[in-house]
Amino acid sequence: MNFKRIYKYGSPPNYFRLCLKYENWFTVPGFLLIIIGCYGGLFLAPPDYQMGDAFRIIYFHVPSAYLSMSAYAYMALAALVGIVWRSNVAFSVAKSIAPFGASFTFLALVTGMLWGKPMWGTAWVWDARLTSEFILLLLYLGYMLLHASIREQKKADRAASVLAIVGVINLPIIHYSVVWWNTLHQASTISKLSSPSIAGEMLWPLLVMIFGYGFFFWGVICRAGATELLKREKRSNWVKEYVEEHQS
Amino acid sequence: MNIYLKIFVREIKVSMKRWSDILTGVIMFVLVALIFPLTVGSDQMFLIKIIGPVMLLSALLASLISMQNIFKPDFLNGSLEQLTLSHHSLNGLVLMKILSYWATSSLPLVAVSVFIASTYYVTGTSLIAVVITVLLASTTLVNITALAAALTLSVRYPGALMTLILFPLSLPILIFGSKAIEYSIVGIDSSGPFYFLTGMMLLSFSLGPIATAFAIRISLD
Repeated sequence: MNFKRIYKYGSPPNYFRLCLKYENWFTVPGFLLIIIGCYGGLFLAPPDYQMGDAFRIIYFHVPSAYLSMSAYAYMALAALVGIVWRSNVAFSVAKSIAPFGASFTFLALVTGMLWGKPMWGTAWVWDARLTSEFILLLLYLGYMLLHASIREQKKADRAASVLAIVGVINLPIIHYSVVWWNTLHQASTISKLSSPSIAGEMLWPLLVMIFGYGFFFWGVICRAGATELLKREKRSNWVKEYVEEHQS
Repeated sequence: MNIYLKIFVREIKVSMKRWSDILTGVIMFVLVALIFPLTVGSDQMFLIKIIGPVMLLSALLASLISMQNIFKPDFLNGSLEQLTLSHHSLNGLVLMKILSYWATSSLPLVAVSVFIASTYYVTGTSLIAVVITVLLASTTLVNITALAAALTLSVRYPGALMTLILFPLSLPILIFGSKAIEYSIVGIDSSGPFYFLTGMMLLSFSLGPIATAFAIRISLD
């Protein structure tokens, strides 16, 4: 392992420059992919023979659901790195992921409800996936609230990071306890929907959308993390130099 | 005397002095559990159906009431800091604190749960199942509560925050505890949920004190 390189990019000024430099490498492809995916999903893909045009919400639902879960893993990873190396960079990344992860979780829940209402007749089913998604939202909110309610920045970072890591250990337990609870109790209502054998012309916009969301997410995180870092290091020399550089 | 034993005895003595806090937790437990028969009616079938969730929910709410007493008083008078400065393992000391907190806050609930279960028309071996479930669930819950309390030590009014942290983490216990009680009352083989509860208890006792000690160090930084 080349730790020198990690330390080099782990230092706040270098990380900040890196973020601003490569931000557009994520944001621009992200927007392009989302536009292509939207067009492909909303206009080119044929309507589903059972669900008609209503299925098209999948192009927003599935990417947000994917991202909501992977964002939590990224957040916990950043929190772990922050705790181990006491890195301000990692903490600022973890903190800036939280609101976006929570928004994607919320988006996944809302689009799921909008989809569920015409398809299953109810907006909410006590199914394992929906429940764990809801719990995920609570975990994000817990992280954000804990961070916000501790005044000292460093303390808040580390305490919230512990919560994020504990959440990552607990999330599979929660998920499977809901799965077993449900399968023990009643036949699943949506298992036939959750693994649809999807046709190629429906699938490619979905994949494009998933990648588009991912790129967009990382672009946004670059910007948000850099901003967070700027706020935290406002008293340091490199920020002063950066500001003076950009004033003239 | 062994230092860990000393800490345990000291904690018990201190909480005996604050006996009103212990009583508050028990009263909370009883009140929440007794509201259900009064409000939904005393239909025996229905009461037997809801006894599991009611028991665990009341235990959770009671621990929400009493969780402030694990670390906060010691944090305020400075003795918690002295514990972290000692050359003994903080994990072990925290484990002792958790155990004594369990003995003073949850053990009374286990005893009371027998009476509550009787008012819900639970009889015979199912009564034992209820007690064992509350025992297993509360030992896991104290570890989660201790972690939440340690994380929010430096927060002035942590009420709603505690609930938000506690609820997702204790969800598996609530689900499987309710299953264990329901199965043993209905007469299905309930060993599965009991194994799960025991496993969760062991997991929480092995990882909980370490995480809690770490969180205390953070809060005292």
